[in-house]
Amino acid sequence: MKRRSILIGTLLAAALPGLVLAHGPTRQKVTLTTEVAAAPGEVWAAIGHFQDMSWHPAAFATTGDGGNEIDATRVITLGSADGPTIAEILYKFSDEKMSYSYRITEVDVEVLPVTNYSSHLTVKPRDGGGALVEWRGAFYRGYPNNDPPEHLNDAASIAAVSAVYQAGLDALVERFGAPGS
Amino acid sequence: MRARFLISVAGICAATALSADVAYVTCQNGNVLSVIDLDTGTQERWPLPGQPAGIAVSDFGIFTVSPDTKEVRRLDPVSGAEQARATLEGGPNGIALDQLRRRVFVSDWYNARIWVLRAEDLSVVGELETGAAPAGLALSPDGRYLASADRDADQVSIFDAETLMQLARHRVGLRPFGLAFADDGRLFVGNVGSDDMSVLDPLLGPLTTVAVGARPYAVTFAQARAYVSNQYEDTVSVIDMGTLETIAKIAVGEYPEGIDVTSDGASVLVANWFENTLSRIDVSSLTVVEQWETGDGPRAFGAFILPD
Repeated sequence: MKRRSILIGTLLAAALPGLVLAHGPTRQKVTLTTEVAAAPGEVWAAIGHFQDMSWHPAAFATTGDGGNEIDATRVITLGSADGPTIAEILYKFSDEKMSYSYRITEVDVEVLPVTNYSSHLTVKPRDGGGALVEWRGAFYRGYPNNDPPEHLNDAASIAAVSAVYQAGLDALVERFGAPGS
Repeated sequence: MRARFLISVAGICAATALSADVAYVTCQNGNVLSVIDLDTGTQERWPLPGQPAGIAVSDFGIFTVSPDTKEVRRLDPVSGAEQARATLEGGPNGIALDQLRRRVFVSDWYNARIWVLRAEDLSVVGELETGAAPAGLALSPDGRYLASADRDADQVSIFDAETLMQLARHRVGLRPFGLAFADDGRLFVGNVGSDDMSVLDPLLGPLTTVAVGARPYAVTFAQARAYVSNQYEDTVSVIDMGTLETIAKIAVGEYPEGIDVTSDGASVLVANWFENTLSRIDVSSLTVVEQWETGDGPRAFGAFILPD
């Protein structure tokens, strides 16, 4: 009985990708920041385009519609041309605040073990010059039911999102340099 | 806050125009309960394991739900001492208290049911069947009805709070999560999947649907207006309960969730999950007039303000 309901859940999730069905009990959050030497405007010019994730080392290609308008969509292909994809939608964008917010609409939990994922990417001025880049996400673990397997539990979701953010932020430090003291 | 409690215990607490309610804010990521005296702003943080979210407060106990460890607790409102604890196998989540009958209801996210517990010792005395993934629970102000938001069934279930018989099931918007009864008996339900709020008569069913903000999470009432926290919009929608028109959207902190009203009806408090703050909205000016830091990840999912 229990096995059957899990199976049905899996089938439903597969049949209706992107729909928000059941999720785990505890929403997780991750905030990572880094500091770079370049001015905020220069950093925002590099990362503040929803249709272009080429600044992130894991992104092979970005395709999408709607530019930086609300409800614009993008599909990021990871690693190589035939790599896995993540589909996302933009729900806030401000050049003035140098910030945008987006949600994942479709991703295989084997690629990124999260559900109900939303995220903000923001560039701020740094005290003493340079820029501060902040990337934050809110999400549930990849396994929506009780007693998750280890690779789909809360800790795995935090580790996976943190790794994505860290790789992106590290690339920005490499590109723009660390600020002097 | 300690001093105030001592005065209360001594029985010489004078009537005052000030609201001296206490907010009990479950902080899910930080595993604490932020206990904030709303008069002085002083705060204690009580350790509360298991990633607590659901809350229901009363003079005879603060009831909390920790979904990660599947535990429900009853804490002393003053000292925080644990008075009872139960482990509920399943996905304990939302919680509501029937003060009259000394019962506690806890929704089971994974097994389409509500546990009925004795408030004194948290022993399970019954189970009620719901639709898939019940989340928010609410008692009507007259004590007649219990309602559950059955998130993945897109419905609410209505029970007789006395007999515990199921009275009705009503289709609402997509993914209902938080819900509350207004003083006039109507039930207001936030639908996170369709960005609107269903308004129902508990027996007759839907009356109308009102558009609110992105991902409406929970609802409360103050002075003939409904206040709805919009998770993805960092706002609270204010709805006139007569016309059901939106009067204002108030900018609050990031990821607003649990929302409740002070006993004098003058303030609405909302917990901002991502930002780790509690915002106080002044209902006459419709602005945020005060903000307190909380522990990490405040949810405050339920009735979290205890009247002084």
